[in-house]
Amino acid sequence: MANTLLSLAEKTFIVHGVDDNYRTDGRNRSEYRPMEVETKVLPHTSGSARLRLANTDILVGVKAEVDTPYPDNPNEGKLEFFVDCSANATPAFEGKGGDNLGTEISNTLTLAYQSSHVLDLTTLCILPQQKCWKLYVDVLILQCDGNLFDAVALAVKAALYSAQIPKVTTATLDGGKADIQLSDDPFDCVKLDVGSFPVLVTLCKNFTFIQIGENCVVDPTSEEEECSAASIVVAVMPNGRITSVVKTGYGSLQPSTLVKTLELAKDIGIKLNAGIMNALKEEDELGSQREIFGFLK
Amino acid sequence: MPFDQKRINGPEVSVPYSVYTDVNKSKSSKPKKSLHKRVDGREHKDLRKIFVKTGVISQAKGSAYIEVGITKVVCSVFDPREIPNKNEYSLQGELFCEFKYAPFACAKRRIHQQDAEEKEFSLVMQRSLEPAVCRQEFPNFQVDVYALVLDNGGSSLAAAIMCASLALADASVPMFGLVTAVSAGFYKDTMFLDLTVEEEVLCNSAPAKPNPPNNHGLIMQAALPQHDQISEFFLVGSINIDCIKQAIETLTVANKNICPVVQQCLVKTVLRALKRKEQEKN
Amino acid sequence: MSGQDLVSDQGLRVDGRRANELRQIRVRMGVFGQSDGSAYLEQGNTKVLAAVYGPHQPRGGGRGGNRSGTGIINCQYSMAVFSFSAGERKKRPRGDRKTQETSLQLRRAIEAIVQVELYPRSQIDVFVEVLQSDGSDYCAAVNAATLALIDAGIPIKDYSVGCTATIASMGASEEVDSKDETGSGTGIVDANHMEECTGATTLTVVALPGAPGSNYESDTDNSGLVVVAQGTGARLHLSRLEGLRQRALQGCRDTRVILDQAVRFHLTTHDPHFI
Repeated sequence: MANTLLSLAEKTFIVHGVDDNYRTDGRNRSEYRPMEVETKVLPHTSGSARLRLANTDILVGVKAEVDTPYPDNPNEGKLEFFVDCSANATPAFEGKGGDNLGTEISNTLTLAYQSSHVLDLTTLCILPQQKCWKLYVDVLILQCDGNLFDAVALAVKAALYSAQIPKVTTATLDGGKADIQLSDDPFDCVKLDVGSFPVLVTLCKNFTFIQIGENCVVDPTSEEEECSAASIVVAVMPNGRITSVVKTGYGSLQPSTLVKTLELAKDIGIKLNAGIMNALKEEDELGSQREIFGFLK
Repeated sequence: MPFDQKRINGPEVSVPYSVYTDVNKSKSSKPKKSLHKRVDGREHKDLRKIFVKTGVISQAKGSAYIEVGITKVVCSVFDPREIPNKNEYSLQGELFCEFKYAPFACAKRRIHQQDAEEKEFSLVMQRSLEPAVCRQEFPNFQVDVYALVLDNGGSSLAAAIMCASLALADASVPMFGLVTAVSAGFYKDTMFLDLTVEEEVLCNSAPAKPNPPNNHGLIMQAALPQHDQISEFFLVGSINIDCIKQAIETLTVANKNICPVVQQCLVKTVLRALKRKEQEKN
Repeated sequence: MSGQDLVSDQGLRVDGRRANELRQIRVRMGVFGQSDGSAYLEQGNTKVLAAVYGPHQPRGGGRGGNRSGTGIINCQYSMAVFSFSAGERKKRPRGDRKTQETSLQLRRAIEAIVQVELYPRSQIDVFVEVLQSDGSDYCAAVNAATLALIDAGIPIKDYSVGCTATIASMGASEEVDSKDETGSGTGIVDANHMEECTGATTLTVVALPGAPGSNYESDTDNSGLVVVAQGTGARLHLSRLEGLRQRALQGCRDTRVILDQAVRFHLTTHDPHFI
């Protein structure tokens, strides 16, 4: 990420290419790189997914635990994101080096999933005020080659799609103490409804020293990210509503550009959501006996 | 939650009493009525009155104080200093922003250390101010901006951004223009500008069914009105794109309208400084 | 679970293995394109990813620091937050005492095989990430790191192979079983998490086992140079240490054979230069 060094000539080359709608790897401005997704790669978690977007490699594990709800929201469960940038991606992430980036991404995810239109936290409640489900979504970034936000959001959606939460057979209040019985059958689970989970779309605006105008690129590689002064990360739900917008980078935009960017993000977000749901459904159709490759292929 | 090891913390398991009182319940039903008329009597598109003053902190290079309705924010800016923990030379200067609520500022007591929300707001503040500052004037240095919210009456981030831009100007940091920020909120189909705390809570909660267009959300827009640029756009909630477009237009106009207030304050600052110089000469 | 239950009367363990059998090892080298070398290793249910960067200029310590004329090996062992098979998730992936100590031990294991005199004023980074932990994580980490070093093209003296041997702690009244079968030691090899948790003592050994047929192999009880040895769990009587060590070393030798096969397979089928 920070270690791609680009000379001025290279930056000019990339920027001119974007202008002509022909990027260095041959894509046009609104194309994504090829993606691979596989779920259930970690059998000991409630849900997991591995997503590869060209060289960006993300592994997500979802764990469900029983916890006490917050006192001011007694009917709601909890959802917590944790993003860890592994040193495998670049030596700069060793120790605490990747913490800043990790907190930024987890904050963006928290914002995107904050609305109860996305995930109604009351569905995670077991016994009001006593017990609720807490979902830990843990993201491990293994390789980064640009466009981390999109890849992470897609992987999180895939992992949540595959997550299976054990069914609660009985939940009673026994003399003030909560008593919960979970189903013994490991296959007796509840799946989450991911129909309204958003995906993040990153649009990079190449601004810098050459006044390009309103050209923005989707799915930037790490070189393109270096050249851009500002990028907008938009969380789009499958029905086209926008749940969060964050602007990153040190540049500024004109209002008309912002509006155009948001519209483009919405269109792409809808297509991306449809794409990932198709892929996940196809994977489901392969059945539970499919061979899980994980990192072996 | 970061744990403050140096101070004596209250018991971890303490719960604010307001959870148990009935006062809370009556408060939550009030804002719904504000869909037609807001609690403080403003129109939906009206902003609150702003008071700004610079030079409030004597020890800082530049400082400013802002009051937007009930929200009070004080901000101080210090001289450029070497970037700590950095080995490589950077061609552009850096801006280090810290946004903090005072422990007594919100209804629920905050701890003295920055928590995740404040860290996020610090980053948002930094990104809003960066386009305005001429960073190439102080390469390899960083300018510290500290904003402290003394009273959170809603839209404290927007107030802090404006305060910080004024403080930067007061500190003679070279800038391209002033930064103004306004927040807006959506609930169902009504858009409010310049939210109060109750309206913020309302806009964060979702109305029941998402399928008829029930928007809800908060938008904070920071802009450089003199150049017609948006420096930061921060949206949380669930809004459809037409409402967002409408919001952007309204917010841009509102930002332009606030600009003269901030400019006037700076003019007064300069006049005051000139007067002081004259007095010293005599 | 008492000590006796580790191996049943028929000589089978909980997962059907014999006392001296290893778990299934699956390997993939060259998993990532961006790092200089990488390897993914599965030992039963323990899944580990290793990446190697280097040799490159030492970061941060370049100025005035390292004038010793040999290379530095920098290791980081990190466990993914979701890696525990049983029980709660880990709060922090690295930075706590246990992972820091394991990083240090990993560094010792790697320093034994890399010829640091060949890389003066340079640094080689080895990063290991444990994706799923089900017993012998440290050993899997060492194995994966060795493979990643090979994938990075860094010349090494030998495979650095890790293996654990676990023995159930018996009561004071029981005698030491003096008849080991064919001198191959006592205890079970490559225990998984459940077996490790039963209150048994685990000896972890990282050794340079030597290729089969070399002069190391002919020595029945002193084969392989042991570089790291760690013991965990309950107390162990000194008389049983030797048997355990032999078991672990034999496990290392067996693992080496498998790792070597995997490397040769990778080089001949995947690498275009060797075709």
